[in-house]
Amino acid sequence: MENKNIDDILALSKELRWQIGDDFHDHLAEGIYADAAEIVGDAITKKNKKNKFSIDSKIDRIVTSKTWGFPIMFLVLAVILWLTITGANYPSSLLAKILLNDFHPLLKNLATTINTPWWLSGFLIDGVYLSVAWVISVMLPPMAIFFPLFTLLEDFGYLPRVAFNLDSLFKKSGAHGKQALTMSMGFGCNAAGVIATRIIDSPRERLIAIITNNFSLCNGRWPTQILIATIFIGATVPAAFSGIASLVAVIAIALLGIFFMFFSSWALSKTILKGEVSTFNLELPPYRPPRFWKTIYTSLIDRTLIVLWRAIIFAAPAGAVIWLISNIYIGNESVAAWIINSLDGFGFLLGLNGVILLAFIVAIPANEIIIPTILMLTVLVTGISVGNGAGVMFELDSANATGEILRAGGWTLLTAVNIMLFSLLHNPCSTTIYTIYKETKSLKWTTVATVLPVIMGLIVTFLVAQIWRIVF
Amino acid sequence: MDIKVKSACDTCAHFNAKGLKKLGVNTSNFDFVIALAGNPNTGKSTVFNALTGLKQHTGNWPGKTVTRAEGGFEYNEKKYKLIDLPGTYSLLSTSEDEEVARNFILFGKPSVTVIVVDASRLERNLNLVLQILEITDKAVLCLNLIDEATRNGIEINTRTLARDLGIPVVPTSARFNKGIPELIQTISEVASGKIWCKPHRIKNIPKNIEKAMEKLATKIEKEYPTIPNSRWIALRLLEGDTQIIKALKTQEFV
Amino acid sequence: MNTYDPLNALLIFIALSILIYFLFRPAKGWFWIIKNNYRTNEKMVIEDILKLLFHNENSGKILNTNNLTQILNFNNSLIIKSIEKMTANNFILLDGEQLKLKPLGREYALRIIRMHRLWEKFLAEKTGYDKSEWHERAEQKEHELNTEETNLLASKLGNPLFDPHGDPIPSKTGKMAIINGVALSTLPINTVGEIIHIEDEPDIIYKQILAENIHIGSHIRVTENNNTRVSFFSEGEEFKLAPIVAGNLTISILKKDIINEGNIARLSSLKKTEKAIIIGISKESRGENRRRLLDLGFVKGATVSIDLLNPLGEPNAYLIKGTAIALRNNQASKILIKKIN
Ligand SMILES: Nc1nc2c(ncn2[C@@H]2O[C@H](COP(=O)(O)OP(=O)(O)O)[C@@H](O)[C@H]2O)c(=O)[nH]1
Ligand SMILES: [Mg+2]
Repeated sequence: MENKNIDDILALSKELRWQIGDDFHDHLAEGIYADAAEIVGDAITKKNKKNKFSIDSKIDRIVTSKTWGFPIMFLVLAVILWLTITGANYPSSLLAKILLNDFHPLLKNLATTINTPWWLSGFLIDGVYLSVAWVISVMLPPMAIFFPLFTLLEDFGYLPRVAFNLDSLFKKSGAHGKQALTMSMGFGCNAAGVIATRIIDSPRERLIAIITNNFSLCNGRWPTQILIATIFIGATVPAAFSGIASLVAVIAIALLGIFFMFFSSWALSKTILKGEVSTFNLELPPYRPPRFWKTIYTSLIDRTLIVLWRAIIFAAPAGAVIWLISNIYIGNESVAAWIINSLDGFGFLLGLNGVILLAFIVAIPANEIIIPTILMLTVLVTGISVGNGAGVMFELDSANATGEILRAGGWTLLTAVNIMLFSLLHNPCSTTIYTIYKETKSLKWTTVATVLPVIMGLIVTFLVAQIWRIVF
Repeated sequence: MDIKVKSACDTCAHFNAKGLKKLGVNTSNFDFVIALAGNPNTGKSTVFNALTGLKQHTGNWPGKTVTRAEGGFEYNEKKYKLIDLPGTYSLLSTSEDEEVARNFILFGKPSVTVIVVDASRLERNLNLVLQILEITDKAVLCLNLIDEATRNGIEINTRTLARDLGIPVVPTSARFNKGIPELIQTISEVASGKIWCKPHRIKNIPKNIEKAMEKLATKIEKEYPTIPNSRWIALRLLEGDTQIIKALKTQEFV
Repeated sequence: MNTYDPLNALLIFIALSILIYFLFRPAKGWFWIIKNNYRTNEKMVIEDILKLLFHNENSGKILNTNNLTQILNFNNSLIIKSIEKMTANNFILLDGEQLKLKPLGREYALRIIRMHRLWEKFLAEKTGYDKSEWHERAEQKEHELNTEETNLLASKLGNPLFDPHGDPIPSKTGKMAIINGVALSTLPINTVGEIIHIEDEPDIIYKQILAENIHIGSHIRVTENNNTRVSFFSEGEEFKLAPIVAGNLTISILKKDIINEGNIARLSSLKKTEKAIIIGISKESRGENRRRLLDLGFVKGATVSIDLLNPLGEPNAYLIKGTAIALRNNQASKILIKKIN
């Protein structure tokens, strides 16, 4: 009987709705603001007429000016990336030395002294521990540099101005100016970039930003690009220019990523996303001096450690799988070798090989372990006696030695170019995929974000391989 | 100028510093739930951190807090659980953030809603404040960023403001920990019922909407005599808010 | 691997891509065409015929079977079979050659029109589809919704009276608001009026109107009307249209110029040093977009000025209620202002 009266209320509301007409919302909003104006008129006295700090206007005029706006932006981004990449070198190799070179053998020895069966210590120490250690040493230092720097800029209030400057470029491809920032964040880590899309409050543009974030070359992929470029691209020119040549190659890949980001943003907004609601507004907050230490602390906790933790959770099983496939045998051959053989034909069509494809599959959890996995697998199938045995990932200190192993594995310049392309254009790592799912709560968009770049990667590497073979 | 209406802080008991304990994320067995609402970028998270001793991410950038943060503090032997709601400009639209904030204030039934506003952009902020005051009658206005307002040459008469809004007003500068003790004291007094609010109701609504709203509100009150926000529910029904309709049917907010 | 040749591989790939393109390209892809044809059934044909008869009845034209087969894009036998069925169901009557609606048929037609216009309203308010797509999508959807779903949709949208083109939406009982308007092309010079309807068919003309950035609800004053051109002044700008295009705009004539149009302009035309008062947001800004603007303080009576001009032309930042908010030009052009000094 209660319900009867509620139905009455609802019926009345429907009827009244009919009477008050379509402009209801407008009138309400105007009414509330009229009240607000009255109250403010009562309670506020303004001493100066200006609505804005003069220092704010001055900064704004410079950072959004026609001449200085863009150079300042690129300079800031370049400095951040440079600080991140070069600054991370030392702590990264230190961590690698401690975790990989010192601690790993120590653990192994310990395992032997307490008589752990070889498969258990292999599985846990060579598989799980090693991949986790690897991810930490490659991932932690750059993120611990990149995120605080970025957060300081965010706290200062500069980032909204970047979105403001760049919006019309992004608008052309159906995206939001704030995507410039989530994209830059992606250069640090795609998972963090995806989380950062929360600043975009328009549903369609946010999805675009999420799906295309993977085209930003992340910290886990920079080292791969640099290593391969140094070994193969640098070698194509006289030694004096090899540094420059490999640098240009890496930058070209990053720019290509930006191109693909724009292109797929445009394609998405014109096709599957065109029905999503799209709005735009961008608030330019006042500048505020950042609180240095607090910012650094929270950015380490909030961004770096959360993402690192997720990465570790995913890397651990990946390490286990890598060790298992190299140590479980079917007949005379390990599972890994079987898969590699069956993937070789397809790999060749793409200008790659079975080892690379398998490495990209098992290293879905973390891009950081691509190179060590490739090296281990190459050694496994070629039988070269380097490294620490089946299923134990390794890396060499010297780029030359690495190059020799790879060449022995059948690599050519084409393989190198295509692996650089494929490392840019393949599915996001599982941390990112998981993050995309958490942010969109949609299997559909998570699938699109995962599959779209792989398809692009397959097409691009395929085309490059065929044309390369026709031309050369 | 000095009106007879008692401003909140005439009766303010003195802040008892010894009675305060920041509880961080430990929010078990709380006595009161406090919601923090406000426009984006007004310092909600900074206030939240100042109250709980936590280190939520803050940033000078509208729209960072999307997930709901919780924390707690203890004051004069009462435990308070604090919820940092996403920042919104309004509660009338359909975005996800607004729904989270709206639903919490309406259905979460916080003991007190602390509305954090930017003192130098008061008019814009009042849009949200006035909407919240239609929903709940236990609220405190936290007039934050008062340092920026002063630098801007803006002077705010907090007594007049408190009188007009019908709720206590506490000027703060959360970033520099100014005004936080007063805020805690005021929250505790509103929560315990020592301060009784009589919130402002929106006046400048066109006649035809006003009439429709009153008619519907009267009918709702007849059904639920104790409801504090019949006008707001009437407004939402007129908008065809399906969540409110569902809640009415399940009697979620009485 | 012995048969592998890069050239062949490439050619196969190109052939495959072309095939996929022709199968799946938007709208005209074979896959979609086949899918649509497959979905076409008697119900759709009947409903389309009823709608056509209803519209023509309103404009006083009478159709016969031949006309139908020419106008509608279905195969003839299907049309003839449908006509038979409709006569049997008491929807229409055959008066010699001529087809006439019976009350039952008229009721049915109104129901379909209600669904169509409600769906257009839905697309406009709650989705991001471009307005050039609304009609096409509603044409499909009107055959899919049942009456109950339609009523639910209507109450979700707040029982709107008009669709986004300004056409009245029939109520549950088939009542429709009446629009008193005349075609723009028939108006003498200096007539003042409000655009109340923009016809969305034929498509080519509708797209032209959209390209001109002409909005429903705008006030206009006719400045020129002859065989080659119809011009009018609106919201601080002059618009020039071909008479055939102008014929698709319906104007409700206003007695006097309610808005002092000399001063009225679009926010997008505001200059760096100028200040203005907001008069309102054009009806063309809808749904979530409109609500956001209102929430941000772009309400009638608010003062607005330019805070920052963009180095690339847009978006520009406007100072509104103490905050700098950047809007793109297509948004700013839908906010009407009156400049002040
Ligand atoms: N000057 C000043 N800055 C403040 C104050 N409170 C917060 N801020 C700054 O305002 C910015 C936004 O704060 P935040 O707490 O993230 O706002 P939220 O979006 O409402 O959660 C940050 O840069 C804070 O450091 C204050 O009282 N004075
Ligand atoms: Mg916050």
